[in-house]
Amino acid sequence: MRPRGGGALSEALLRTEGLTRHFRVGKLTSRQTLHAVDDVDLTIGRGEIVALVGESGSGKSTIARLLALVHRPTRGEIWFEDRPLSRLRGRRSRLAYSAAVPMVFQDPYSSINPAYRVSHGIVRGMKLHRGDLSRTGRGAELNRVLDAVGLVPAGETRRRFPYELSGGQRQRVGFAQALALRPKLIVADEPVSMLDVSIRVGVLNLMGELREQEGVSFLYITHDVASARYLADRILVMYAGHLVEEGPTEDVLQRPKHPYTQLLVSAVPDPRAELGLADARDVGEPPKVVDPKPGCRFRQRCPLAVAECETVTPQLRELGDGRRVACHVAS
Amino acid sequence: MSASSIGATDQLATPPIGPKPLVAEVGGGRLGDIWRAISRNRKAVAGLLLLLVFVVVSIFPGQIAPDDPTAQTYPPALGPSWHHLLGTTSLRQDIFSQLIFGTRLSLVIALAVGAIATVLAVLIGVSAAYLGGIADGILSLVTDVILVLPIFPLIIVITAYRKNSGLFMLIIVLGVLGWSYGARQLRSQALSLRTREFLESARVRGERRLYVILFEILPTMTSLIVATFLGSALYAVLAAAGLQFIGLGDPNSQSWGTMLYWAQSNEALFAGMPWWALAPGICLALLGAAFALLNYAFDEISSPALRVRKLERSRIPGRLPSPADTTPAVAPDRSVLKVEGLSVAYATDAGPVVAVDNVDLDVGRGEFLAIVGESGCGKSTLLYAIARLLGAPLPGEIIGGRVLFQGQDLVLLEERELRRVRWRDLSVVMQSAMNALNPVLTVAEQMRDACRAHSKMSKAEIEERSREVLRLVSIDPVHLHSYPHQLSGGMRQRAMIAMALLFTPDLVIMDEPTSALDVVAQRSLMVQIKELQERLGFAVIFVTHDMSLVSHFSDRLLVMYAGQVAELSSTRELFDRPRHPYSQGLLEAFPSIRGPKVRLLGIPGSPPDLAHPPAGCRFAPRCAHVQPRCTEGEVPLSTVNGSVVRCVLAEEGH
Repeated sequence: MRPRGGGALSEALLRTEGLTRHFRVGKLTSRQTLHAVDDVDLTIGRGEIVALVGESGSGKSTIARLLALVHRPTRGEIWFEDRPLSRLRGRRSRLAYSAAVPMVFQDPYSSINPAYRVSHGIVRGMKLHRGDLSRTGRGAELNRVLDAVGLVPAGETRRRFPYELSGGQRQRVGFAQALALRPKLIVADEPVSMLDVSIRVGVLNLMGELREQEGVSFLYITHDVASARYLADRILVMYAGHLVEEGPTEDVLQRPKHPYTQLLVSAVPDPRAELGLADARDVGEPPKVVDPKPGCRFRQRCPLAVAECETVTPQLRELGDGRRVACHVAS
Repeated sequence: MSASSIGATDQLATPPIGPKPLVAEVGGGRLGDIWRAISRNRKAVAGLLLLLVFVVVSIFPGQIAPDDPTAQTYPPALGPSWHHLLGTTSLRQDIFSQLIFGTRLSLVIALAVGAIATVLAVLIGVSAAYLGGIADGILSLVTDVILVLPIFPLIIVITAYRKNSGLFMLIIVLGVLGWSYGARQLRSQALSLRTREFLESARVRGERRLYVILFEILPTMTSLIVATFLGSALYAVLAAAGLQFIGLGDPNSQSWGTMLYWAQSNEALFAGMPWWALAPGICLALLGAAFALLNYAFDEISSPALRVRKLERSRIPGRLPSPADTTPAVAPDRSVLKVEGLSVAYATDAGPVVAVDNVDLDVGRGEFLAIVGESGCGKSTLLYAIARLLGAPLPGEIIGGRVLFQGQDLVLLEERELRRVRWRDLSVVMQSAMNALNPVLTVAEQMRDACRAHSKMSKAEIEERSREVLRLVSIDPVHLHSYPHQLSGGMRQRAMIAMALLFTPDLVIMDEPTSALDVVAQRSLMVQIKELQERLGFAVIFVTHDMSLVSHFSDRLLVMYAGQVAELSSTRELFDRPRHPYSQGLLEAFPSIRGPKVRLLGIPGSPPDLAHPPAGCRFAPRCAHVQPRCTEGEVPLSTVNGSVVRCVLAEEGH
């Protein structure tokens, strides 16, 4: 495989500080606050692929939507190229950011408008964000991005309707839409989880190639730890709205420090390994983070829990070699 | 049946043969497709022809009608004759000419009202859905108020009040009061679209709201907008005729409604001029029928599920004898289920599609058999066919083969006899417990219903058994009185398995029971299933798309490709020495969590369209080892060291 960015981290392209998003839930009389994302600090370097893994409901997709400006942060700040997003004023600067940080969605069967040809979303993106392009310029660029994502011959694919394409091809259209904006960071929210096994790898490889050829960074959001290992330089692990562990992918997955990461890694089916039933006894569930009290959110399921975990929310600690873990016990 | 058949609705998400909304053939663009769909639909053709006749008549009335409709020059009250096809009125007019000239106004009212009501319905319904919040509240309230108003009396009052303003007023009033039903339908469809990712994608791209509504939402709702137009046109035809009949609107205008008014006020039916009243009445009914037919046709075209297709068995090449021809045989003692030559076909617009092709398999007592394959390979269809659950969501038909279970052929059993077997001896666990469990009944109530339907257990016994099976799957019996939505995803799935075990069945059929769960929950559920199986001794057929998931749990693995068995062997053997190139490709398609990192390639291409399967080996177009003989003819299954493989290379030890 290609060489890794690893420790030689390039400068930060995007970083967040104390990123927090809460949602109001419940009826008028019983308003509660759902803490989807709490105090997340993350960094994505130029040309880096960062995987964000965790269970459904852990806040992964909320982070994607915060980065894509769908939601506003409740607290905290997102810095892009050292400029805070809260200072974005006016449609023009928001559009410029949207072009630099596009998103690819999970469900290839619902993320392309079925009423239009494949070219629609790509061309619309160029009309919005690349006013410099003439009509013929857009046509050439359309062919270029379709080529780049492997939808060849481009001249033929652009005329297709979504229902004429397979799931994998549709997902490639999603990447072509992003690519046409000349992005710096693509936020990919579970881009392969709805694809058949035999074509997943093709889309993963595509992301790697786009990084190599176009220098794009990726935030790869997934629940599939093995695919994160295959693709990403660094991995971030989320649990119940908190970032609980981060570090170089291989390090974290071979020597997980946080007990949740350990549980997650042990649960990944691996036909090449012996079956370890001991780890599979866990029938716990991640908590619903509604009006939470301080303390570690994993403590009810944690084999290592101590008294401190009940009262103090663990913060991410540096462990050296680019690794951080939010646990009172792990070392 | 109860829970099991409800669960089947989940399968709608993955249609067995590729999701193609309009018609299967490609080419000529989308408009071409729509036109082809219309021309194939009998209701659409009938409606269009009928409408076309009225349109032609309304454009050229002078050329068609023999006389001036206002001329009062004929003998009064004549019967039908060659000169006066429908006779004359007591006012000395030619009825047929009046009818012809009346067409234009009736049609204009229908189309104009249809247009006004549709525009209003679209604006209000879609804005309400997209804007949400307070805007939705207010717009929906207005819609509902108008919907419950007694429209017809209201129209009478308004048109009577502005009696002399005539046609224009009539159109405006009908249009303004007629949009509410359509608005509600459009709102609910737009609401369901709101969560579709292409809208989120447009917003993330930076599109403005108005653009999203006009150019992203509306084009996807074309068929409902057309339906709204046709529905309100139909309503306008009838409402306008009704108003004119009671003398509202301009009684001197030429329309079918005014004809009815004059006929009625001159007692046409009793005075020997029946056609004066009957002819405009029939024309109104025909115009209404034209709109209604088109409306139905559009519904059918836009949601193919409504179409009733008949499976044309004669068009299926080289089939086995139909199930009734085969004599039932007793399965050998050691296997609990024996499937022989099972084939299932679906009726599609393009003719029959064989989704499961001649599958043989057997399941031993207490065995765990996994069936893996990609979407559309026929694995779910096979499962539904074995459980004889083909029907509403998966409308396939068994076209050949036998399913031998407990010494009887399930294919031949009547529904009534099947109920005795299902659940007691053979139970089914569906993919999504949220859909398979009844949301308005507690777990206890659903278990009680199942017990009552399939046994004569007493109330106390049922209670006791329910607690027992919940404990089996590690759910605290306090959850017995919970509703499904109060349980977490993992617990619901466990509850489903608990229900399947109420009667200690011999065979439990599971359709991707873990795929909605997270890895950790998935793993613990798999371990639990395996433990229960070892303890209670039931056999399992487990369908999944994820080969690695069953690697440690299944005894044997059946790999399906394009409706056929590609390979069947012991799980260990298949992982260590996959013999079919497709199995090899699948194994090399997913990255590993441990071991050396290698660049993976996946399998190029995609599975074949089963409506036109490739000749010979169905995997040949994607296969790296393809040879000329692969495509020459059907590749038979061969047995190599206990493994069954459909590949010409298998015998040579590849």
